[in-house]
Amino acid sequence: MGVAFVAHCLLNQNSKVGDGAHCAGVYSPVVDVLREKGWRIEQMPCPELAFAGLNRFWAVREQYDTAAFRRHCRRLAVAVAGAIAARVRHGEDVVLVGVEGSPSMGVTITSSDPERGGKPAWPDGSPELTSGEGIFVEELHAELDRRGIAFRVAGERHAIPGFEEADQRTRLESVLGRGDA
Amino acid sequence: MRDARSYRIALVADCYVNPAPGQLDGLAVLAAAGWGVMQLPAGDYPAEVAQQLLAGIAEQVEEFSRHGYTFVLVGDRDGLAAALAQAGLPVPDRIAPASADELAGFLAARPVPPALAAQDPAGGSGPGVTGSR
Repeated sequence: MGVAFVAHCLLNQNSKVGDGAHCAGVYSPVVDVLREKGWRIEQMPCPELAFAGLNRFWAVREQYDTAAFRRHCRRLAVAVAGAIAARVRHGEDVVLVGVEGSPSMGVTITSSDPERGGKPAWPDGSPELTSGEGIFVEELHAELDRRGIAFRVAGERHAIPGFEEADQRTRLESVLGRGDA
Repeated sequence: MRDARSYRIALVADCYVNPAPGQLDGLAVLAAAGWGVMQLPAGDYPAEVAQQLLAGIAEQVEEFSRHGYTFVLVGDRDGLAAALAQAGLPVPDRIAPASADELAGFLAARPVPPALAAQDPAGGSGPGVTGSR
């Protein structure tokens, strides 16, 4: 098996942006799959929490794509990449489990809207999901590329329209199983 | 959607998150009790990596603490106390549980987090004291 480096909030929903916590603490639907399949769990830091704080607004990439936030993410990414490198040196398989739709932690879907800025007043349902990585994942990806480390990705999908837990489980199991091929 | 956070966070040694066969599964107990988990670096990481990770953890604990979230420490990790001290933070009340019942009892006896007490001066336990199911 291997090691799953998981987004911070999957073990600690207290780190979520206000009104974003799906449960009290540990998001079991992802954790349970990882443990059933025999994967070690390693928690990544929440890049938004220490930078923008607990009272941060809901945001898209445009609010976080700043030089200062990228410096913050690069600092965290060096630490996480060091941890991943230590596991890879022992021959372990690595998967990143992010949060789809997140401006920081998206692994294949992030959120973006160039129109958002200024006084925060947008109607619900404004289109914001777009293909791509969140900003922390971009910086971590770059650091892992620099070290020559390959990895696979999966994501928690609450923010994606039509979310179903069974579909999320199937996708996660598929990514975890791919290393066995 | 109602925010379900518990305002309760445990700093947890790796051996309770990734227990060896037959050892206490602290993560399961914490999940059932509605506590968030901040995992401490595994003991086999290089010192420099562990130090960087611990500094990041302390930075996050500082932000949570400023907002009245409550902490406990489950197990321990070399370097944690120094990292917390660097951020001006004390080491939280600690337990090194030998059983699930011991850990569950310790968690249940913790006072209401200041953030929840401020929302509900009558002292109710507030939202988010059950797991994610």
